[in-house]
Amino acid sequence: MMHLRKRRVPDDPGNSGSLNDLSFLLIIFFLVIAGFNINKGFLMNLPDRDRPRVVQTEELLRCSLGPDGSLSLGGKAVTEEELRGEIKAMREKFPNMTFLLEIDPETPYHRVVYVIHEIRVLKVENFSFRMSGGEA
Amino acid sequence: MIKLRRKKARPLIPMSSMSDIGFLLLIFIMLISLMNQRHEVKIEYCEAVQIEKTQESDNLEIWIDRNGAISINGISMDLKELEGIIVSTIALEPTTRVHIIADRNTPYRYVNATVMVLQRLQHRVVSLVVREVRR
Repeated sequence: MMHLRKRRVPDDPGNSGSLNDLSFLLIIFFLVIAGFNINKGFLMNLPDRDRPRVVQTEELLRCSLGPDGSLSLGGKAVTEEELRGEIKAMREKFPNMTFLLEIDPETPYHRVVYVIHEIRVLKVENFSFRMSGGEA
Repeated sequence: MIKLRRKKARPLIPMSSMSDIGFLLLIFIMLISLMNQRHEVKIEYCEAVQIEKTQESDNLEIWIDRNGAISINGISMDLKELEGIIVSTIALEPTTRVHIIADRNTPYRYVNATVMVLQRLQHRVVSLVVREVRR
């Protein structure tokens, strides 16, 4: 009888196929985490200090932000809704209108951001802001 | 004569090396994320619905807390130092995007002081960073 030597079976390396999935999941996790650091907000173009822009007074809407964040148009206190309405009406009349925001030094920053947001939503192209008592 | 049938070897893809590759990738990504580490100041963000992405490839983040303290990369500074850092950063990389990240309750005069520095340096574009909220 012929003696056939049994072929040696290699050691089982273990099923590591799932490690691919694991590493890919971790990669996705890190990519998502990296995405959290992306800055979003409003891009503002600062005016040239030496070349002030000339604006026609009838196309200018002057809005003020008080120290408590209250809004006023031409010295008259307005609500957020009223401000929105005024801007819309003015924009219909003068599509190239300019919105000038005068900000009190003590106004909380989030109120300034609120007005900038409204301006962007209402698609007012010409927007200018300055601190009251300060430079433009 | 005995006919020995040769056993057909089953094709096998060695999977054990995949774990090494996976771990190397992990180490690589962790190192990269460490390099991009952001020094955050504890602030309450302003919120808005409609905002745009203002991030660029080169960015300079100016943090202003509610008391008006200015810091860049975790280092507190005054306006003069801020001006120096902006100048050197812009000189090195002119396309650097400047971001102002201020607390929602910061009095505007502190933000304005930083805006004035940028204006003085003839730096035209500034990003006011806010947090996006969905309505």
